[in-house]
Amino acid sequence: MRRSVQQRSSPLDGLTSFNPAYVGAVVVLLALVGMGAYFVVFRQWTQGLAVTGMNNRVSWGLEIVNFVYFVGLSAGGIIIAAMAHLLGMKEFKPIARFAELLAIACIILALFFILISVGRPDRLLNLFIHGNWTSPLVWDVTIITAYLALAMAMGYFGTRRDLVKCLETIPRRHRLYKLLTLGYTDTSEAALKRDDRILKVLSFVAIPSAVALHSLTAWILGLVKAKALWHSTLLAPLFVVSALVSGLALLIVALVVMRALKVEVRKDTVLKLGKLLLLLIPLLGYFLFAELFTVMYPGVPKEARLFADMMLGKFVVVFWFNLLVGLVAPIVILLYIWLAPARAPATAAVPKRSFAFQAGTLVIAALAIAAVAYSFQLGRTVTTAVVPGAFSLSIAGRAIGVNFAAAALLVLLATRLPVVAGVGLASALVVLGVLAERFNVVVVPFLFPFLPYPPAVYVPTVEEVLSVIGVYALGILGFLVLAKVFPLVEPGDHHAEGS
Amino acid sequence: MTRWGMVIDLDKCTACQACSVACKTENNVPFGTQEQWAQERAPAWQRVLGVVESVNGKMQAHFYPRPCMHCENPPCVLVCPVQATYKDEEGIVQQDYQRCIGCRYCMAACPYGVRVFNWKRPSVEETHANYLNPAPLTRPRPVGVVEKCTFCVQRIQRAKAKAVAEERSLRDGDIVTACQQTCPASAIYFGDLEDSNSQVSQLARSRRAFRLLEELGTRPQVYYLSEG
Repeated sequence: MRRSVQQRSSPLDGLTSFNPAYVGAVVVLLALVGMGAYFVVFRQWTQGLAVTGMNNRVSWGLEIVNFVYFVGLSAGGIIIAAMAHLLGMKEFKPIARFAELLAIACIILALFFILISVGRPDRLLNLFIHGNWTSPLVWDVTIITAYLALAMAMGYFGTRRDLVKCLETIPRRHRLYKLLTLGYTDTSEAALKRDDRILKVLSFVAIPSAVALHSLTAWILGLVKAKALWHSTLLAPLFVVSALVSGLALLIVALVVMRALKVEVRKDTVLKLGKLLLLLIPLLGYFLFAELFTVMYPGVPKEARLFADMMLGKFVVVFWFNLLVGLVAPIVILLYIWLAPARAPATAAVPKRSFAFQAGTLVIAALAIAAVAYSFQLGRTVTTAVVPGAFSLSIAGRAIGVNFAAAALLVLLATRLPVVAGVGLASALVVLGVLAERFNVVVVPFLFPFLPYPPAVYVPTVEEVLSVIGVYALGILGFLVLAKVFPLVEPGDHHAEGS
Repeated sequence: MTRWGMVIDLDKCTACQACSVACKTENNVPFGTQEQWAQERAPAWQRVLGVVESVNGKMQAHFYPRPCMHCENPPCVLVCPVQATYKDEEGIVQQDYQRCIGCRYCMAACPYGVRVFNWKRPSVEETHANYLNPAPLTRPRPVGVVEKCTFCVQRIQRAKAKAVAEERSLRDGDIVTACQQTCPASAIYFGDLEDSNSQVSQLARSRRAFRLLEELGTRPQVYYLSEG
C-alpha cells in the first residue's frame, strides 16, 4: 500500500505533544460541555423538567430519542470489530480498536442521555436497589451494562500490546499505563496469541449480544400497547437494522474525519465499509416500507392516521428528510461512486481543479445547506401550528419539494468531491437520516393519544437542544483525550502486512 | 377480598367539571396556570374529556370524566423500572412518590393518559394555601415524580377506621370519593366490585355498562354507563 508522506503533520500525532489546533479543539469542546452541564444542573435539575418542551402528553422527547439513537450507533463499531477479529479481515484490522472505542463512547453517551432525561437523577440507584424485572427498561439497562463490559474487554485485549509499548516508552505516565494494562504486561508471543484467542471468543459473543441489545431497546417501546406504531412485531428487527446502518455510517464518518486529520486510515478500508453500507441501506428502506405498507393498505385506523400525519401533516419535513436525504441520496451517491469510475475516471483523480469548479462546488454545498435549513424552518412552523389530522397541501408540497431539492443538490455535490469525501458525505446523511427516523418512531406516537385529549405539541426548547449538544461534545472530547493516551488507529501495516 | 371500582353514569353527567375541582382540593393538586394548561402540563388527577363530532350534519358533544382506571391488568405497573407504582391488595394502583425516579415510562405505557408529571415544584395558589387537606396521604408531591388518582385512598382508610371504631364491618356506601361527593348530578358511584350486592357491581352488570379501550385487555375497574 501507498503510505502517505505528509502523515507526520496530524494534530492528533504524538502522544505527549499538544499542538495549538488540538488545544483549541479541547477548549471549544470543554466550553460546549460546560454549557450543556450548566443547563442540565442549573436549569433542569434546579427548576425541573419544565425547561424542556415535554409535557404530560409527550412525556419523552429529544433525550430519549438520543438515548435510543446512541444505543443504535454503538452497533457499527462492535460489528466491524467483531468481523475483523472473527473473520480475520485485513482491511478492518487496523481500525478494529477505533471501532470498539466508538462503540464504547456511544454506549456511555446513551447512559448520559438517560441521566439527563429522568426527573429524579438523585434516585437513579433505585434501578439497582428496587429493579422491577417485568420492566423492559430494566432489561435494557442490564444488557447495556453487560454490553459495555464486553466492548471494554474487547478494547482492552485489542489495545493491550500498545499500552505495554507506551508503558516502556513514556515513563512519565507509568502509573496511568500500569492502571490501563491492569498489570498484565506480558507481550510474549504466547501471550499475544492468547489475546487474539480471547478476542475471537468475545467477538463471537458480541454479535448475538448486539442483536439482543437493539431488540431490547426496541422493546422498551415495542412492548407498550398504548401507542400506535410502537406496538409492532417489526420494531425489534427494524431497530437492529437501523442500528447497523447508522452505526456503520457513523464509523465511516469518524474514519473520514480521522483521515482528514491525517491519521493513517487507508482509503480501501473506507471504500469497503462504504460498500457494506450500500448493501445495508436498502434493507432499512425495505423495513420502513413493510411497516408503512402493512398499515396503509388495509387502513388500520390508529396507525394509518399517524402515518398520514407523518407523510403529509405535522411531521412531513422529518419524514421526507429521512426518506429523501437520509436514505435515497446516500444510495445514489454510493452507487455513483462505484459505477462512475468506469464511465468518468475524471472524478477519481483530477490533479488540479479550476477555480470555477471549486466555486461551483461551494455554491452547490451552500444551496444544499440552505435547502436543509429551510426545510427545518418549515418543520418548526408545521409542528407548532398544524393540528394533527389537518393537512396543508401547500406546506406538504413545499416540504417534499425542498427535501427533494436538498437530496439532488447533495448528490450533485458528492459527484464533485474526492471519492473518500463522497463516501463520508453519504454516511453523514445516513447518520442524520436515522436521527430523523428515531424522532419519528419515539416522539410522533405520543401526539396521537387514544382518548380525546386536546392536541399537544412537542417543540424542543433551546435549553434542551443545548444540553444534548453538550453531551455530543463530551463524546468528541473523550475521543480527543483518548487520542493522547494511545494511538487510536493501529499503526496497522506493521503487523498486518509488515512482519 | 375487596376490589374497589367506580361507575360513572354518562346520562347523568352534565360535564360541569366539579369533580375535577373537588379532586384537586381533596388531594392538594395545584390548579395549574393558564400557561400550564395550554402546554398540557397542568396536574389533573380527574379530568373531563370531551369529543365534539358531527352526526348527520348536526353537532353532538360527548363528555366523560376520566379518573385513573385502576386496571386489573395495569400496563404502568408492568413497565415501572423501580416498582414505584404497584397494585395494592384492594386493587388500587398506587404510586410511591419517594421511590419514583421520574423516567415517565408509565406515562408512555398508560393508554388512558391519566398520569401526570411534576414538571415544576408544585406550588399552591396563595388563596388556596390555608385550605390544604391535612391528611398525610395527600401531602404535596415533590418535583420530578409522576402522580395520579388514588381513588381517594385516604377516605377509604378513614371510613375503615370509623367502621372499626363503631365495631361494625364496612358497608356499601361508606366510602365516598371526593369526585363522587361533589357531583351535583350524582353521576359517580364508588364501591366494592367483588361484592355482588353493592351498587357498583349491580350497575357494572347493567346493559349500558362499558369500559374505555376494552380491546386493549387492561380491564379497567372504572365502568361507564352509556348515554340514552
